[in-house]
Amino acid sequence: MILKLNINNKFYNTNIESDESLLVVLRHLGFKSVKKGCDTGTCGVCSVLIDGKPRLSCQFLAARAQGHKITTVEGLGKKADAIIDAIVNEGADQCGYCGPSLVLTTYAMKKELKDPTVNKIKHYLAGNLCRCSGYEGQLRGIKKYMGVK
Amino acid sequence: MKSVRKFDARPKLDGSWKFIDDYTYDGILHGQLLYSTCHHGYIKKINFPENYDLSEFTMVSPKDIPGENIVPEPVCDQPFMVDKEVMHYGQVIMGIAHPNRKLLLKFIKETKIEYEELPAIIDIKDCLDNEDNHFGKEIKIDHSIKKEPKVDWKYNHNIYYTPHQEQAYLEPQGVISVYNPRANTMFVRITAQCPFFVKHGVEAIMGKAVDEVIIETSEGIGGAFGGKEDFPSLFAGVSSLLSYKSGKPVKIILERSDDIQITTKRHPARVELETWTDPLTKKIKRCRIDYRLDAGAYQTLSPVVLARGALHSIGGYSIPDTLIRGRLFRSNTPSNGAFRGFGAPQAFAAMEAHIDRISADLKIDPYEFRKINLFRVGDEFPTTQKVVEENLSDCLERVIHNSDYHKKVIEFAEWNRTHKDKKGIGISVGYHGGGYTGNGEKVLNSEVKVIIDKDAQVKIFVANTDMGQGAHTTLAQMFFEAISHPREKCWVQLPNTSKTPNSGPTVASRTIYIIGNLLRKLALQIKEELGFENLEEYVKTHLQEFPREFHKNLTPDPSVIFDGDTNVGIAYKDYSWAACVNEIYFNANTYKIELKKSWNVMDVGKVVNEKIAMGQAEGGILQGLAYGLTEFFYKPGFGRAHGFTDYTLPTTLDLPEMDIEFIHTDSKIPKGLGEVPMDFPAPSIRNAFHNATGIFINEYPLIPESLLKAMEKDK
Repeated sequence: MILKLNINNKFYNTNIESDESLLVVLRHLGFKSVKKGCDTGTCGVCSVLIDGKPRLSCQFLAARAQGHKITTVEGLGKKADAIIDAIVNEGADQCGYCGPSLVLTTYAMKKELKDPTVNKIKHYLAGNLCRCSGYEGQLRGIKKYMGVK
Repeated sequence: MKSVRKFDARPKLDGSWKFIDDYTYDGILHGQLLYSTCHHGYIKKINFPENYDLSEFTMVSPKDIPGENIVPEPVCDQPFMVDKEVMHYGQVIMGIAHPNRKLLLKFIKETKIEYEELPAIIDIKDCLDNEDNHFGKEIKIDHSIKKEPKVDWKYNHNIYYTPHQEQAYLEPQGVISVYNPRANTMFVRITAQCPFFVKHGVEAIMGKAVDEVIIETSEGIGGAFGGKEDFPSLFAGVSSLLSYKSGKPVKIILERSDDIQITTKRHPARVELETWTDPLTKKIKRCRIDYRLDAGAYQTLSPVVLARGALHSIGGYSIPDTLIRGRLFRSNTPSNGAFRGFGAPQAFAAMEAHIDRISADLKIDPYEFRKINLFRVGDEFPTTQKVVEENLSDCLERVIHNSDYHKKVIEFAEWNRTHKDKKGIGISVGYHGGGYTGNGEKVLNSEVKVIIDKDAQVKIFVANTDMGQGAHTTLAQMFFEAISHPREKCWVQLPNTSKTPNSGPTVASRTIYIIGNLLRKLALQIKEELGFENLEEYVKTHLQEFPREFHKNLTPDPSVIFDGDTNVGIAYKDYSWAACVNEIYFNANTYKIELKKSWNVMDVGKVVNEKIAMGQAEGGILQGLAYGLTEFFYKPGFGRAHGFTDYTLPTTLDLPEMDIEFIHTDSKIPKGLGEVPMDFPAPSIRNAFHNATGIFINEYPLIPESLLKAMEKDK
């Protein structure tokens, strides 16, 4: 089936099979920041924003994404800088495989949480697994970015 | 102690850093492994599904191997692919490739294999409790005294079990092999810890069919923790054979469910401890240890894990009369392999729980009992190695102070008297010998290379990989700080076996401790040899001498002598030490343990990069805590985990409040850091549970159903 996807404010026409996940289609189109970790919706490294909300692209049929605004970390451009700096300043990035999805989810969280607390941040990020960092450093940086002590 | 920013941090976060699945080549085929779903038996027939054009597939089996069907490991007993007898679930039978990955996965799923099944050992206790399953060489560490124990000494005898643990790197195993028929070379790009191990693996399977094998890692290695140490050799062998046969590049990226089921795990262990303690002095006088590992179907590198585990099994305690047996046991499960800690977490799981059991029997606080028995200068390890520092005691004292342990013990006991839920606090200590065991570093004879260009750029060539631990930043930092060279002019190159000398594998907490120190020495040697104060100035005035290449091999410390047959001597020159206190809350309705706060003190010597070191500690400690608390891979009636839905990793919500302190950072050398955070934390949860409820549990993980069972039994 032919699909017209709005990815990072640009339209892409692509011919896909009807059961293709958004993850597979995005990677095929060259958005390599979107990673495949589990394919069962459990690790979070495939997260993208659909209309500004974090979604697991491995569990999202590509066909359903038509008519919605898809954002990958490539699409954040300079808007990602403050988040990246917050994480890097804490030395919290390690293998980096979960990095782009964490940046995207944090970006959405900043917009969504009007009254952020440590607990709310932890709940928001609970779907983004990281096996390297133990989350401590990531949370130190993200708390600063969110203005939470 | 500076915190130089990681050079790869930004590209990893903005998504531009390339991992193995981000690489592609023209005409690439997708490969996968067809593996056994039978635990033990013979293959009678392989039925490929109909309605596929078999001519579109490339398939390889042992008959296609031009070299040897044996993976070169410390013990060479594992075939790349099943030869005659299937020895375990998940054993590779064939490699299959096709241009369309989706169609390939469907084809493999529909392929049915008929087996003649044989009896199989798949349960951890069935494997480890039965002496008949022992295989391989037994390790004996004999520091025994030929004297019967005194009758009034308190005898404690317990058996402790630990389960598999999955490394759970978020990037699955992946490889791309590119055969070049004109040059007759095999180029392999891979996400792996040890490029030279992979090179030896591909050379073994290809034999004389190719003239040269070159291994280069992907830019990003998405976590490894030991899981990308030995399996990649087997994996790359099969992909290379597929590329050789098809004449096309072949990429294999494992699906998560395959990765978790067929790759190496932490060895399940059974550790039997017998101790005799003088009730008056509270000193442990005698100890007998039977340390057993479930190796899986083949030995592969298990003897090396066994050696480290047995050598660490005495814990941090000075016991004059000690005898340790270490043995491997065979099961029909995939070979277990390297995982951060490498046998030591299993050892401390037993000894640290046992120490609390003796303390309870002697009615002495576990801290006081440890204090009496911990290593003192002049004591001996069971290998006769002299203890030369009391940094383990320092770690313990500091963590007791930081956690306000004594006050909490009293407070919790009071609180528990009036509440159904319970609060608990537990201690554990541990350590990790840096570098290869015994004479390993002498045998490795590691070499590093540096090229200084005309613009004073320093290129560092080492085989050690950066799998997220920040090794390439820290290694460069050790070089440029030694000669005060600008950071932006010093870079570690991507490991490639045709360009980098063999500086050994990225294992055994040796990268900074051995290779970093070697690079620092090389930097100082170059400075002395050229006689400069400022390298940039020197290069400007001696342009004709550059680019110039420098090499340095490790000069082993002559005082490190170890007899690998008798296990006598210095097993590790330097040890990293650690102690922790963990506070838990036990919910009596849900039987769930909630980790409240974790205090940790570590001596890892000089800390080169504080933030990187802290990240290693934080990540390792959480892995260690989860090992004891939540992670299980296999249980009877459940089988092996299939993914992150049934193998539950800690999330941000499972994170306790964490307090970490490094001590003795004024040391001259950085010691091993990678593994010690994994070694020591888990037993403290078990000890805290005992402190809370008075119940001992001899098995990990402390999931609600285990606690319920233990508490029902206790009634």
